[in-house]
Amino acid sequence: MSESDPKLITSPTDDWSTSRRTFLRAAGFTFASAMFTGCQATPIRHAIPYLVQPEDIVPGRSVYYAGMCGGCTAGCGVLVKNRDGRPIKIEGYRDHALSQGGVCAVGQAHLLGLYDSLRFSSAQRDGQPVNWTEVDAEITAQLAKIRGEGGAVRYLSGTVNGPTARTVVEKFLGGFADARWVMYDPISSSAILDAHERTHGVRVLPRYRFDKADVIASFDADFLATWTSSVEHTAGYRSRRSPDDAAVPMSFHVQFESRLTTTGGKADRRVRVAPSQMGALVTSLAGLIAKRAGTEFAPAAVAAAETDVLENLADRLWSARGRSLVVCGSQEIQTQVLCNFINHLLGNYDQTLDLAGASNQRLGSDSALAGLLEELRAGRVRALLIDGVDPAFDLGAPAELADLIRRVPLVVNFASRNDETAAVSRFVCPDHHPLESWTDAEPVRGLVNLSQPATPPLLNTRSVVESLSTWMGEARPGLDIVRATWEAKVFLRQTAQPSFLAFWERTVQDGFCTVTPEPVAAAPFNAAAVKPKAEAVPAAAGQLELVVYPTVGMLDGHHAYNAWLQELPDPMTRVTWDSYACLAPATAKRLGLAEGDVVRVTAGTPDSPGPSLECPVVFQPGQHESVVALPMGFGSRLSERFANVGPQWLQSQPAVGDDGRVGRNAAPFVAMRDGARRFDGNPVQISPTGRSRPLAATQLHHTLSAPEELSGLGFERRDIVRQTTFAALHAGAGHDGHGAHHGPSELWSQDHPVTGPKWGMSIDLSACNGCSACVIACQVENNVPVVGRDEVMRQREMHWIRIDRYYEGEGDDVAFQPMMCQQCAVAGCETVCPALATLHSEDGLNQQVYNRCVGTRYCANNCAYKVRRFNWFDYPHADRFQNLVLNPDVTVRSRGVMEKCTFCVQRIQEARIAARARGETIADGAIEPACQQTCPARAITFGDLNDPNSALSKANEPAQISRPGRGRHRAVGVVPGGRPESRRRGRPSWLRLHPYSGCRSSPATRRSAR
Amino acid sequence: MTEVPETGWLGSRRLTTILVIALVFGAGLLVVGFGPVRLAGNQQGYEPTQPIAFSHRLHAGELAIDCMYCHSGADKSRHAGVPAASICMNCHKNVTSTFGAFRAEDDLAKKEKRPPRPIISAELRKLYDALGLDDARKPDPAKAATPIQWVRIHSVPDFVHFDHSAHVNVGVTCQQCHGTVQAMDRLRQDSDLGMGWCVNCHRTSNQTGIAGQPVRASIDCATCHH
Repeated sequence: MSESDPKLITSPTDDWSTSRRTFLRAAGFTFASAMFTGCQATPIRHAIPYLVQPEDIVPGRSVYYAGMCGGCTAGCGVLVKNRDGRPIKIEGYRDHALSQGGVCAVGQAHLLGLYDSLRFSSAQRDGQPVNWTEVDAEITAQLAKIRGEGGAVRYLSGTVNGPTARTVVEKFLGGFADARWVMYDPISSSAILDAHERTHGVRVLPRYRFDKADVIASFDADFLATWTSSVEHTAGYRSRRSPDDAAVPMSFHVQFESRLTTTGGKADRRVRVAPSQMGALVTSLAGLIAKRAGTEFAPAAVAAAETDVLENLADRLWSARGRSLVVCGSQEIQTQVLCNFINHLLGNYDQTLDLAGASNQRLGSDSALAGLLEELRAGRVRALLIDGVDPAFDLGAPAELADLIRRVPLVVNFASRNDETAAVSRFVCPDHHPLESWTDAEPVRGLVNLSQPATPPLLNTRSVVESLSTWMGEARPGLDIVRATWEAKVFLRQTAQPSFLAFWERTVQDGFCTVTPEPVAAAPFNAAAVKPKAEAVPAAAGQLELVVYPTVGMLDGHHAYNAWLQELPDPMTRVTWDSYACLAPATAKRLGLAEGDVVRVTAGTPDSPGPSLECPVVFQPGQHESVVALPMGFGSRLSERFANVGPQWLQSQPAVGDDGRVGRNAAPFVAMRDGARRFDGNPVQISPTGRSRPLAATQLHHTLSAPEELSGLGFERRDIVRQTTFAALHAGAGHDGHGAHHGPSELWSQDHPVTGPKWGMSIDLSACNGCSACVIACQVENNVPVVGRDEVMRQREMHWIRIDRYYEGEGDDVAFQPMMCQQCAVAGCETVCPALATLHSEDGLNQQVYNRCVGTRYCANNCAYKVRRFNWFDYPHADRFQNLVLNPDVTVRSRGVMEKCTFCVQRIQEARIAARARGETIADGAIEPACQQTCPARAITFGDLNDPNSALSKANEPAQISRPGRGRHRAVGVVPGGRPESRRRGRPSWLRLHPYSGCRSSPATRRSAR
Repeated sequence: MTEVPETGWLGSRRLTTILVIALVFGAGLLVVGFGPVRLAGNQQGYEPTQPIAFSHRLHAGELAIDCMYCHSGADKSRHAGVPAASICMNCHKNVTSTFGAFRAEDDLAKKEKRPPRPIISAELRKLYDALGLDDARKPDPAKAATPIQWVRIHSVPDFVHFDHSAHVNVGVTCQQCHGTVQAMDRLRQDSDLGMGWCVNCHRTSNQTGIAGQPVRASIDCATCHH
């Protein structure tokens, strides 16, 4: 305030007249503004109909197109929900043989990429937009020159398994004397393929059938989350993990792993192993199995601690020959060979490992990539085409790759965004978004996906096959290219449809077809390839080993542009918007580090240090003490856009780090060794920097144990998550008297009579593995805004569903509990709302009326589950292109309004209206909230609690079902599908939960006690 | 410390005088000019000029074309829908003017002993222009097709999700909400489309039924607000 501006100063000695004056001013302003507001006419709005009505579009009605998810190379089938011509949601596709109705978090989120205003909107030359004709002319001329003069042409891509893309690329490369196609996967499974080349004579990735496996042994394979085909594997695994289904026996799963994965969290037995010891462990198991099979094999000594586990496992595997499955996530080819050997001895090939219908989901070869890099270094490559990968980022050497790429005379990149490689590529010919183009894929042999565009291209892009065809001098639209390939190649592989037209139309409608798989020329098992892994040199005491791992949100980092995925809490660490170094708590303690301390992680030994990066420390219970785990996919150039994400206000902090990016890239730590890129086992040093960086974590507590001193002060210890064992479940044990309620009982008298349906939800915690697909599905469906790192740190994240993660003991036991509004029958929130903005509906929903809410936040304070979300700001919707993703059925909330889950009430209304139009009642299963619809593990059941025949009532039948609100708050709506508890657990978070809430119950069943 | 001035131009007396005058003037405006006080956003009686002077009286009244011939989404979707220009062309490919105009031209032609000339009414020419058609209703490459920007009359706030099909399919007539559209040359908003009006009808219908059939019209908030 300036001294020269006296009018702004109010004197404390102001007398009554001044107050009256102020009052009159205020009153006058109020009246005047009310008067003028009342007089103001609403601005003129237009209704602009089509000129020519498209046949299949009814404005306001959704149309679903069967297609394929383009989020990764797993090739899951999806349904694309289109409204008025624009895709607004990816839905699971129940009939698809691989995904079986599931879509993962990345699959849900990659829709946002379609409406990304920073996508290339035209072809680029040297970073400048240029029209396609010009680019085509230049590229065609240069290619013609290479054709004439000779020179190496290299096509560098990720896994490409679509018949059309393969045909076109091969034809394109066929026009050159020296042309080669190099595929690599940023998250590599190259060692598995190479191992099969050694043992079976064919470089192939088997299709793992977890649905057929009675006994599963996994060595560092995170198959439920980030391995080769997580949705497919989750569906298969889950089909054998239902403790109630007597017809399908529950499988037994042992996980050996170095860091704590969600897969390990679900295992019946989990053993921590240092990455360097993994090979020896597999060798030992091979020895034990060989002994039982009577095969000659020199077993290495078994580490003492694991002898019992391995003997027990070997017995189980041996007795389940042909029905067991051993998988290994290691990138060490020799270890993978041993894994093949074990599966061979167990007779699992062609049973639980399908070679005839082998997977094409990972085809990359690390040695081929290494070969290409050598050629680039030698300057032997004349033309380089880059399709769908970002080598400068993936390989963690942006400067070197940039230099190598600049030295290639012709570089054409098909990237959609200005990633590390595109920034240094001379030509960028941006590909369509997968939802804009005709694409196909053969994720497993014999199953071919065909994906039609769900929208015409929104930007001036062109599909890769169209570009290549143009440069071959036969420019055709993508549809013609795909159709011609299908007629020539795929149609001949099937017999069901006699005419191509019928086959084509059927497949376009279905989105996939089953054809005769191309034969796999597998040779008899080559036992000569099997060599015991030499006993690993015992690591020096205190020597740390590095593990670089993909997270469920970021995967390889190609989706780093995606704000939804950046804000998705990691299922284990619960951290958003950052990368970090995971350390076992004991290790961190030994090193004197606290959570959030920034450390410098340096690869190699002190004598020969390698690459290094700085990042904060996260304590990760359950991790092996010698391991430093770094998530990959962070630190991408694509994340530079998030400098100003979230509300900008006085105290806001940027989501990006000092370098302008979200997190740091861990790829430099991935070293090429023995023919494969090794993500783990490299020695590493850690040194504190003395700085700290707070972490934007959405769950601040780690254990379930309520401090004793609090329980002594009258705080009640109650179960939040309950677990039991299979044996206890079937012995009828675990019912502790005051635990589970039977049926939909209420604490208070039922004063909300429900005559029609009463909506409820049951969540089977035995099935949930924390994959977080539901979180993103809910975000897309319900227009949930992104708030940015700073707001997450203030605990203002907006997700309507979260997945609470609880550890038991040292972290070998993990429970995931999805938590959303429990739709309490007589809810605390309802009784305190002064505006009647939250109240109960006839059908048992706890409604939230945004337009009535005045933002007192009493309801959130009185909520037992911390599931209400408050709009502290008008979260930006300035990007009009991105706004096209908003669901028109759901209000976009404004500042000062409370919001929460209402079981996707817009879907309930839609189903109700549709049923009423047909004169029917709503069929069971006709309503699927977004979380249930996408869940790969089918953990969520939604339905009518008043209908005794509904799937929900059936799921709730076991007497062990309990509801999280037993006790003082009743949650009628959500019933985390319960089993009886055998172990009592303390209330986890007295910090976060309402003191009276306490009792959430949950039930994850394991095959045995750990 | 700076002295606080007793009066400035924002001082009490002058401001009070201005405010009192403003209030009186405002109240006068309300009484004389605007009739009864209504809530912001209430557009009852709104009757804007449309880009094409389409007459519901002629089409729905005189010619008795079913409402859902043009507003075909009414029983299928949230939106009843403004018809696409292609729907108009189902008839107006051939019908290019009013019957009266044709008869007058016929009479004139007979009198002048010449074949009658084709007539295209000024309003329908706007339709053809929008579709980029020439006078023979053939695509004219020189004309760019431009969608017709009708002025939207009925609209509810973004936080309200009204569904036409839910109402049409239980027998609520169009006129119940939209008034006697078949008598309006230029369309006018008949009801206030306010929440009280909605809820009253829902309550009444629960008592009386619709078209003799009992109905359950929910008055839950989430029926419309989600």
